[in-house]
Amino acid sequence: MRLGFAICLLPGMALAQQVTVSPEDGLAAWDRIFEVVSHPRCSNCHTGPSDRPMWSGPSYGQTRVHGMNVRAGESRIGAEYIPCRTCHVTAENARNETPHAAPQVADAWRLAPVEAHWFGQSSETICEQLRDPERNGDRTAEELAEHLDHDVILHWAWTPGGTREPAPYSLEIHIRDLRIWGNAGQPCATD
Amino acid sequence: MKLTVNGTDFDVDVAEEMPLLWVLRDTLGMTGTKYGCGIAQCGACTVHVDGIAVRSCQLAVGDVDGDITTIEGLGSAEALHAVQTAWIEHQVAQCGYCQGGQIMQAVSFLNLVPDPDEEAIDAAMSGNLCRCGTYPRIRAAVKAAARSLNGA
Repeated sequence: MRLGFAICLLPGMALAQQVTVSPEDGLAAWDRIFEVVSHPRCSNCHTGPSDRPMWSGPSYGQTRVHGMNVRAGESRIGAEYIPCRTCHVTAENARNETPHAAPQVADAWRLAPVEAHWFGQSSETICEQLRDPERNGDRTAEELAEHLDHDVILHWAWTPGGTREPAPYSLEIHIRDLRIWGNAGQPCATD
Repeated sequence: MKLTVNGTDFDVDVAEEMPLLWVLRDTLGMTGTKYGCGIAQCGACTVHVDGIAVRSCQLAVGDVDGDITTIEGLGSAEALHAVQTAWIEHQVAQCGYCQGGQIMQAVSFLNLVPDPDEEAIDAAMSGNLCRCGTYPRIRAAVKAAARSLNGA
C-alpha cells in the first residue's frame, strides 16, 4: 500500500526503491529540511522572481536587499550588471574568516533559479516545489540529495565563516533527511 | 609563483594566501590599484582577471587562474582606452583615489554589456564607491564610452 502511495506521488522515483519510512517520519524529516532551506544562509539567494539577493539573519540586523544595488539578472550570475564573482571571488582555497567580507567558494557565486523560490515562502509551498520535477530541476529525491552532496556553493551554508550563522544541523544530516523524506514518498503537510 | 600582469610574465616569491592587491602593490610596485576597505565593499582595488572585474583585495594570489590587467596596463598615454578618454572628456575625477577601480569596473562591464541603459550602468557601478560623489559624471562617461566603443 505504501509503495503504491509513493509511486503515485513520485512518478520519477525508481520502482525498485523500498519505502521503509512512515509518512510521519517523512514529515518530521521535512520539518528539519525546511529549517535549513528557510535559513538565511540558503534563502537569501533563493529569491524567486526577484534578481536581488537578500541580506537577512542574525548577522545582518534588519532584513534588506543586498547592498550596492546588486542585481543578478536573468543569468542569475550578474552577467548583465556586475558578476557576483567580482566580489564573491571563485577560490579553490576559499577563505571566509573575515567578518563583513564577501563570502567565497570554489564555484561561481550566483542566485538559485527563479523557480526555486524559498525566501519568505511557507513550509508547504517549498515542500510542494521541491517535489515538483517542473520546479526542482527534474530531480528525484535521491537526485536532490546527490545535488547537495556535489554542489560546493551549497556546502558553504554550513561553513559560512566570519560572524555569519551557519545553516542548522549539518550537510550530512540534511542529505540524510532528504533521503528519509524521499523514502517516505516526499510527503507534504498539504497531502 | 608565476603571474601574467599586463602582458608581462612575473615569478613572485609570496605566500599563496596573500591577496593579489598586496602582490601588485608591494611586490610588483604597481601602485595604480588602490586599497580602500579590504572587504570588497568599495571597489577601489578592482583589476581584471581574463577581462572580468575582480576585487583584488579578496582574491588570494594562489587562486588567480588567468591573465591580470591593472589600470597601468589598460592603455598608454599615447593610446588611451576609450573609457579613459571618456573619463577625461567628462572630467570625472576629483581626488582620483577610486577612479582606477571605477575605470576597470566600467571596462569590464562594457565588455559584457556593450550597449547598456542607465539602470544597468547604475547597477554595474554601484559597487564602486566615490567619496567625492562623482557618480553623475561616471554615468555620463560610461554612456559616452559605450557610444565610442560601438563606433557611434
